[in-house]
Amino acid sequence: MIREKETTLYLGPQHPGITGNMMVKLKVQGDTVVSASTHVGYLHRAFEKLIERRNWIQAFTLLCRFCVPEPDPMELTYARAVEELDNREVPERAKYIRVIVMELARMQAFMLWYAGQSGSAGLYLTPQWSVGDRNYILDLFEDLTGGRIYHMYIWPGGVRRDLPKGWTDKTLRTMDYIEKRLDEYNKILFDNTIFQKRAQGVGIVPKDKAIEWGVVGPVLRGTGIRSDVRIDEPYEVYDKLDFDIPTQEGGDIWARALVRKEEVRQSIRIIRQAIADMPEGEYYNKVSNPMKWTVPAGQAWARTESVRGEIGFHVTSDGGNKPYRVHVKGAAYTHGVTVLEKILPGQNIADVSFILNSLGVCPPEIER
Amino acid sequence: MNDLVKENKLLDTVINSFKIEGKVIRDCRVEVYADKNTVSSILLFAKNQLGYIHLAHMTCVDWIDQGEYEMIYTIYSPVDKITLFVKTRIDRENPVMENIDTIWDQANTYEREMREMFGIEFPGLIGEHDFILEDWDQIPPMRKEFDTHKYAAETFFTRPGREDAKDVRDEINKRSGAKVPEFAKKYSRE
Repeated sequence: MIREKETTLYLGPQHPGITGNMMVKLKVQGDTVVSASTHVGYLHRAFEKLIERRNWIQAFTLLCRFCVPEPDPMELTYARAVEELDNREVPERAKYIRVIVMELARMQAFMLWYAGQSGSAGLYLTPQWSVGDRNYILDLFEDLTGGRIYHMYIWPGGVRRDLPKGWTDKTLRTMDYIEKRLDEYNKILFDNTIFQKRAQGVGIVPKDKAIEWGVVGPVLRGTGIRSDVRIDEPYEVYDKLDFDIPTQEGGDIWARALVRKEEVRQSIRIIRQAIADMPEGEYYNKVSNPMKWTVPAGQAWARTESVRGEIGFHVTSDGGNKPYRVHVKGAAYTHGVTVLEKILPGQNIADVSFILNSLGVCPPEIER
Repeated sequence: MNDLVKENKLLDTVINSFKIEGKVIRDCRVEVYADKNTVSSILLFAKNQLGYIHLAHMTCVDWIDQGEYEMIYTIYSPVDKITLFVKTRIDRENPVMENIDTIWDQANTYEREMREMFGIEFPGLIGEHDFILEDWDQIPPMRKEFDTHKYAAETFFTRPGREDAKDVRDEINKRSGAKVPEFAKKYSRE
């Protein structure tokens, strides 16, 4: 047997298959990955340090940028941590609005995942469709918050504005449209033999190691473990809504894709219920002067389920008008380093970006 | 009604096993304070005996006035659905903390980041020294005494043609003749 020479291959930091600026250093023999190590640092903007120089409200302009495709869970998690420190009640209506925003955020992030996942398998029709359809959700965000990507809409004590007139009707119409489109997506992606053959049995996360490696979200549910912060530690009004947590066995890319496919249907279900059940009333428990606001000393930990899994904020206050320390841990922090480095050996080079997309690695979230 | 039975039971088990202190913060939240040498034993005990198998988070808080770093380990039990915080304090001038990546593989990433950002040493930690920063020769940047404003002023220069770059609000107000409101002056920049 001829032993093939080991070669070092640098995937990234600029590469269409990478989900942001990040490098994966691969040792390969022929087409097979022998070892992998993640190198980050291309997107470090010292957000956590800069937040220490801003007041509690100004921090929102920075923390929504922790992860570009999914800014809303960051806002909500931070707001919940600050509310816990300040013992601030959130009006019931605001809780429903937050749930709707979170599920819309989940759906638009799903559309981006859809584009990345199929694009990295060489299927370029799906990205055209899903990114186009994502715009309909961004339109809703624009009507609601004024911004398409970064919203800074969820604040400690509620949300900044009430729903505009006619917004819920437009949202329901958009949900009907997207629900129909999901069937068409199934035909071009999930029924596609190329996608099935590329995804099945590839990038397997072992069930017995998953939690130890820090696997969360759809990747964990793809191994058959039913875990979701919305159910395990319900926040806002998730405990009043009826929805399922889909799981799949296998732990491969296919299982993760099936979990995500079903999750977006659950999001539509949640949005419809939330709109139907939402009470009238206050939407914001007002902070009297946000620029002078001080938060009692203490520490709080809040976690939220994003499309990629658990996001946690550890917030420390010294009683002043600025956060003393904010530390965020998103799903990519473990998925993009420990998990990736462990599952890549033995895989084909062509599958590396495919696996990266399926793990939901968002480099700016690793280095912040 | 949650009368914190599970939380109190967990707290009693941990504080009695290690003779340490702690408290129930609220439902699903318990914290214990330990000596830095006991932390890894508590984490191992919680993981293997009590089912706290998910390391949700690790962080460090720089209490510069007290000359200490506070290390916080956040672990979670998918069965009990309780989050347990294990907190300890270490000397800020000679920060050394036990390496726990033998208990959770993923701790390696947190420890590499803390080594770089706070200068904490974890004996036996394997991993390249440069994690996020590259060729960094200043003090670890997340330490409280590191002044980002001063660093930026000393390190970066104004782009040619942009030497007059000033606070945009001041400039706009100057051109339009409007006055900067007091509150904006006070809170816009430090």
